[in-house]
Amino acid sequence: MKAFEEEKTRVDDIDRTIYDVKDKVDAAFTVDSGLTPEIVNQISVEKKDPEWMRLFRQKSLRTYNEMPLPGWGPSLDGLDMDHIVTYVRPKTGMSSKWEQVPKDIKNTFERLGIPQAERLSLAGVGAQYDSEVVYHNVRAEVEAQGVVYTDMESALHGPYAEMIRKHFMKLVPPSDHKFAALHGAVWSGGSFVYVPEGVKLTIPLQSYFRLNAPGAGQFEHTLIIVEKNAYLHFIEGCSAPRYNVANLHAGCVELFVGENARLRYSTIENWSKNMYNLNTKRALVEKGGAIEWVSGSFGSNTSCLYPMSVLKGEGARTEFTGITFAGKGQTLDNGSKVIHAAPNTSSRISTKSISKDGGTCIYRSSVVITPEAAHSKSSVSCESLMLDSESRSDTIPVMDIQNDESDVGHEAKIGRISDTAIFYLMTRGLSEDDARSIIVSGFAEPIAKELPMEYAVEMNNLIKLEMSGSIG
Amino acid sequence: MSHELLKVENLQVGVEDKVILDKLNLTIRSGETHVLMGPNGAGKSTLGNAIMGHPQYNICQGSIVFDGDDITNESTDVRAKKGIFLSFQNPEEVPGIALGNFLRVSREAVTGEAPRILKFQKEMRGLMDSLEIDQEYASRYLNVGFSGGEKKKSEILQMLMLNPKLAILDETDSGLDVDAVKVVSKGIRQFRSDKNSLLIITHNAKILEGLKVDYVHVLVNGTIVHTGGSSLIQEINEKGFQFFEAGGVRN
Amino acid sequence: MNITLNQVNLLPVRTWKWLGVNGTAVEEEIPGEFAAWEPQALNLPQGIKQNTAAFDGAEQIETGMGKDAEQFVLQNQNAGIHLTAEGSAEEPITAEYVLDATCPALADYNTIYAKENSSVTLVLSYRSQGGASVFHTSLTKIVAERGAHVRLVQVQLLGDSAFHFDDVGVIEKENAVVEVVHVELGARKVFSGCKARLEERRSRFEAETIYLGDKSRSIDMNYVAQHIGKETESEIHANGALLDESQKIYRGTIDFLRGAAYSVGHESEYTLLFSPRVRNRTAPLILCGEENVEGQHAASIGKIDPGKLFYLMSRGLSEPQAKQIVIEAQFTPALEKIPAEALREAVRDWLKERMSNA
Repeated sequence: MKAFEEEKTRVDDIDRTIYDVKDKVDAAFTVDSGLTPEIVNQISVEKKDPEWMRLFRQKSLRTYNEMPLPGWGPSLDGLDMDHIVTYVRPKTGMSSKWEQVPKDIKNTFERLGIPQAERLSLAGVGAQYDSEVVYHNVRAEVEAQGVVYTDMESALHGPYAEMIRKHFMKLVPPSDHKFAALHGAVWSGGSFVYVPEGVKLTIPLQSYFRLNAPGAGQFEHTLIIVEKNAYLHFIEGCSAPRYNVANLHAGCVELFVGENARLRYSTIENWSKNMYNLNTKRALVEKGGAIEWVSGSFGSNTSCLYPMSVLKGEGARTEFTGITFAGKGQTLDNGSKVIHAAPNTSSRISTKSISKDGGTCIYRSSVVITPEAAHSKSSVSCESLMLDSESRSDTIPVMDIQNDESDVGHEAKIGRISDTAIFYLMTRGLSEDDARSIIVSGFAEPIAKELPMEYAVEMNNLIKLEMSGSIG
Repeated sequence: MSHELLKVENLQVGVEDKVILDKLNLTIRSGETHVLMGPNGAGKSTLGNAIMGHPQYNICQGSIVFDGDDITNESTDVRAKKGIFLSFQNPEEVPGIALGNFLRVSREAVTGEAPRILKFQKEMRGLMDSLEIDQEYASRYLNVGFSGGEKKKSEILQMLMLNPKLAILDETDSGLDVDAVKVVSKGIRQFRSDKNSLLIITHNAKILEGLKVDYVHVLVNGTIVHTGGSSLIQEINEKGFQFFEAGGVRN
Repeated sequence: MNITLNQVNLLPVRTWKWLGVNGTAVEEEIPGEFAAWEPQALNLPQGIKQNTAAFDGAEQIETGMGKDAEQFVLQNQNAGIHLTAEGSAEEPITAEYVLDATCPALADYNTIYAKENSSVTLVLSYRSQGGASVFHTSLTKIVAERGAHVRLVQVQLLGDSAFHFDDVGVIEKENAVVEVVHVELGARKVFSGCKARLEERRSRFEAETIYLGDKSRSIDMNYVAQHIGKETESEIHANGALLDESQKIYRGTIDFLRGAAYSVGHESEYTLLFSPRVRNRTAPLILCGEENVEGQHAASIGKIDPGKLFYLMSRGLSEPQAKQIVIEAQFTPALEKIPAEALREAVRDWLKERMSNA
């Protein structure tokens, strides 16, 4: 029984003690809490924005101030934008050597096992501490292939400046929704990745985000361009220590997938339980290209996250695989959006959710098949597991089909662990807890095996749910 | 010397507010093979479930003693660890756990120690071959998408791997074709030894072929109305259960 | 005179506005007055009483289309059937409304109060004559007491210029069964909705809806089963076909409230598409605040399965014949629930005629 004990799935809360270590807030520079043109301008000055970016921020701020909050979804009453410090930058510049990162910040990452993870199997790590990228490193051989992996600020001033300008917030315009506008005004930090034509990266790139200052917002921007016939696997992990003041994460991810290129974008999100995670992620896929989203959502107080795939080119495809685990006090409203805008495109959405101890999981999705997207296929399957009656689980999918040459299938199931299944496993000697665990991990297994767990040492700490496949 | 392995005394079992078994007595000694027969709805499966401790079946009266310990109020897994095995009529499908890994996990749960992997694999492969189960099934999710026959073979495989002191086989032959019944009864014969006991719940004499049956019990309306030797099987086949229901034979 | 309704068929939980499924506004010209409708003599079986007004408390029952639609019918009602079921009636009670240029506007308000262990079937059909544009709205409220069994069948075969809605609200007590069958085959603009509250244990609700979109018809539906009592069951099914430039929005919601333990809800939606210009929107929701439930939804939207078509054609059927068989099969579960042979035939003929263009 011992080996099983060690690896067993607990249907417990995720142990976050190691993430809840708070560092002393010792920031070099903090702007006022509210949001005015002056503050936004101050950000521009501080970051030495090019003129177009300065104007872009101001325009986004106007959009932000004009736009109402969304009329759907979870309550955002706990958020008070007027009291959120939007920009906190730790006392350090960029560093490409781990040794040069300040000790307290380094300690935090060491505790989370980031450099180890890099040493083990990562091609590159970008760690963002509050609003600035403090550490960036790409293995030499990856660089030699012409792959660019750098922070957004450097990219904005370097040889790729024009490429950034051409793509920045073109896929997610600030007018998309209020938090996209906010992002446009105050974004800072994030990663830029460029994979040239034909380059297939065999090892994944990873970035790591972490919020430390209480009440700080994180507005990182991730821009990835994968050229024709190229391949990239990008892993994003998020975590933050717990504070009493509401934290806001309104990042933005824009992915451009070229012809016959493939991008796999994996996210392990474990923000602390006071986080409002209102992130916007979108991918534009050209002819024959593919975007694969893998998403594990465990943290946050409130999450609204619906990675969107725009299948622009003929034969483009998308897969979304997601798991959400909501415990006490959490409302995790997750899902996916797909727009089929060209013929022969295909999408597959497969999600699982687990609600426990009063947590709420909401699956929300939209699949749109435009009149142009003849012979397209879409299949959606979502399964929800309720572990008790204090919890909630809602499924809100919408399909909009505008031609008759497409096939759309949808399946949703909601339920609990069956008593007979538990009894059956117990007749083979398993305790009730182990039986429940085995069923929950079995439930999550098809999704869990898609998570890039081998790569992030941290994952095992993030999820006490044992999904490593040792019993799968 | 054989000893009393299972002793069921004056058992009354109810589901919700309905009494299903009443005043039931049954003793099984180690090394014995018992057959339980009876018409549909008599409570045969209930007895198996009650011995295994299914939470839906309430024991209102009486006791179940196994290997000298009163297990009337024990949880199902404790009973399994003590050496009772129940093969299900409709084995549950459990997605996400491969059959092979599940066997390893449950072997460890029952024996309390981790099996040596290579030895375990060899043993499992051998048994799968003898039960005519494709090796590929070891990596398939437990019972998911198995046909009726495959599910029953998977139950027999689990029984052989867990090697319980008492195996209760609930209608293991139902819904099987002739060939599958042969394989299953071969598995049962393989299991049978001086140390192991069997309680076979069945309608079908076929599965008992080649098996030395010590006792046959007839369960009618929630209680055992008649117990006899293996010749009783033939008698039931000829006369049917009505004969016993009418009280045609007395103990 | 105009009808202006801010929001009908509200999705019980809102989602992205741009999808246009959160609710629908109605703005429509009414082609005439709501003149008093000639009362129909009903074939009342034994055990069923007809009343002159709705039973007490009927107004409190919520409906699928919502307050705006409900108020409109209540304010403009010019016909209606109010029944109390005391015994068990096998024979259906049928009423037929024919709208035309002289009587172009109908708002019928119907109520059924089914006492303990009673059973009753009400079949309402709506047709129109001549090409005049007609306007029909109906509101039906049902209370099924312990062990009562109520069937409501509404068949709509209005002409292509008609406006139409069917709005239903249901409350069920212990062991009650209510079936609502909506056959929505005609009109230019069609709305239908039903909300059932399964208040007590072991009550069961079945909704079977079939629709046919052809020409520029738009169909907008909202069906909600709210599970409150323990061991309640709901079956919500919709089947239809879209042709030409027709549009459809289907909303179906199974809502398990906390405490509705051991309840089961199934929802399904199958739509066949026959033209590149159709638009089909589907929003199947499952809301769940109780652990001990089983909720399921399945939807399939697309063309007729070519394999099936090929199979039928290999047995000598022409393509239109084969298609018609497939479509009829899709409609059969609802058609079988129409308890009047003549009406069932009328529906079949209607389908045959319309589908010959498919």
